[in-house]
Amino acid sequence: MRYCLLLISLFVLKGAKAQTLQLNLNHTVNGVPMALGNTTYLNAAGDTFNITVFRYYLSNFSVTDIAGNTIKAAPECFLVSEDSLNSKRITLKLPEGRYKGLSFMIGIDSLLNCTGAQSGALDPIYGMFWTWNSGYIMAKLEGTSPSSHLPGHIIEFHIGGYRAPHITQRIVNLTLPQTLVLKSSAKINLTADAYTWFNGISFRQVAGFMTPGTAADRIADNYQHMFSVKN
Amino acid sequence: MIRKAVYLLSLFCLWLLIMGKAGEPGPEYYTLKLPDSLPKPVYDFSKNPLTKQGIALGRYLFYDPKLSKDSSVSCGFCHQQFAAFGHFDHALSHGIMGRVTSRSVPTLFNLIWQKDFMWDGGVNHLEVQPISPITNEDEMGMDLKELITRLQGNKTYKRMFKDAFGTEEVNSQRMLKALSQFMAIMISFESRYDSVMRKEPGVTFTPEEQGGYRTFQQKCAACHKEPFFTDFSMRNNGLPYLPSMNDIGRMKITNNTADYLKFKVPSLRNVLVSSPYMHDGRFFDIFQVFAMYDHGQEKGNTIDPLLKNGIPLSEKEQRQLYMFLNTLTDKKFINNKDLKEIMIED
Repeated sequence: MRYCLLLISLFVLKGAKAQTLQLNLNHTVNGVPMALGNTTYLNAAGDTFNITVFRYYLSNFSVTDIAGNTIKAAPECFLVSEDSLNSKRITLKLPEGRYKGLSFMIGIDSLLNCTGAQSGALDPIYGMFWTWNSGYIMAKLEGTSPSSHLPGHIIEFHIGGYRAPHITQRIVNLTLPQTLVLKSSAKINLTADAYTWFNGISFRQVAGFMTPGTAADRIADNYQHMFSVKN
Repeated sequence: MIRKAVYLLSLFCLWLLIMGKAGEPGPEYYTLKLPDSLPKPVYDFSKNPLTKQGIALGRYLFYDPKLSKDSSVSCGFCHQQFAAFGHFDHALSHGIMGRVTSRSVPTLFNLIWQKDFMWDGGVNHLEVQPISPITNEDEMGMDLKELITRLQGNKTYKRMFKDAFGTEEVNSQRMLKALSQFMAIMISFESRYDSVMRKEPGVTFTPEEQGGYRTFQQKCAACHKEPFFTDFSMRNNGLPYLPSMNDIGRMKITNNTADYLKFKVPSLRNVLVSSPYMHDGRFFDIFQVFAMYDHGQEKGNTIDPLLKNGIPLSEKEQRQLYMFLNTLTDKKFINNKDLKEIMIED
């Protein structure tokens, strides 16, 4: 009992020493800052489009120190949405150190997709959970495009699927441009470019996809490359 | 010195914690009584321990029409206890404003052994199952966020959530866990068949029932496996495809052509009180089901290997099978007072 308490106390003390790493997320489309609504963009296939919803989950954050060790942040899931400034500021608690890499998952662990009712960022009230085919929507992009043959020329991509063969979680490994010295607090500016989503995709052929499947896997392969470190 | 201080401080915190808890009535744990012969439930109770207050809240939610958009349809509206929580006399489930879905209402019991839900197995956990009918626009048509806001503004719910979970916070996770607690106690193992199997004094099958049991074991039990009377699998049983319904079954979930027309094997427990039958409720009489297996199948590519030659059933076998299925009706379950509908006053 005594040792147990001692351990708890030590853990608490150690925890208190954790430093703050803030990630600032910026969204762009082919390098241009994203604006929801009427701003028109062009995809690689030459379709014009606009974006009304851009939302995705990030989880499983870790950093790599200069010695090559991986240090995991506390297991937490974040729902990032273009329409919410707060959601684009992610705070991680990490030990003091010198880091050269940042890793995270786009999406939610398989286990959390199938272990019942969740809370916090995973609360199904956020519309990121499929009710008829259980599982989280890992990332969502909606808008319109004149190239779309769907009613109202909408484009609607709800990308999810956690069961083989249709898995849409992707791990992002980023090398930091310079060593990050984390002492009390530090910031990293991350950019996510939605242009990458539609590499090789024309809205004339596919303007929407809202189930697990091959098209979703392909977009997941694309969005794996949407992040870059700015500073 | 610092270590000692920390140690004393921890001890003090622990004392505060214990003192704080004492005297405050918490939820009382509820023990679910299950026959020893059954396998361990799939549902993980360690993450949602049953309590009297949790079950009471779940029951209240289950019978509350406020869970639907226009406060007209509760879960219990379609899941009627006397029909083993299926929908008596309705082929297809219907919801708010006269809307109709494309599937029949499944019965609800022994759900804690079930790995997936819905006719196509699309829902992967008991706790997330209720979101489907609540939000489906042809059923309860309610936005989940709107529903949580609605419940948060209700005094009765604030009190009941506090009783069940310790604080007044109303959120979707708590609501779903409470509903799961209520659904978890829908247990049906008290039929006459069960009494016969347990060799209870004075309970035996009649010769007709015994004959039916033999036919069942020979011709039905591979899929409708005892003691659940389902193996929880998805199969194409040869039920003819209806173009007007265009229901592709499990394939809708997996996008895999091998799953075309596959549907969940339903339990045969309480089968005679829960007509109509099949995923689209097309058969109102169990003898139509027998006839389908005997000579009415459509044998497409994905027909189940066990059923590709049909199930020949003579008139006598059918009659005896009916007698046997009758012994699977659990009257204690369909009359269980703890599961009965309650009046929602506000």
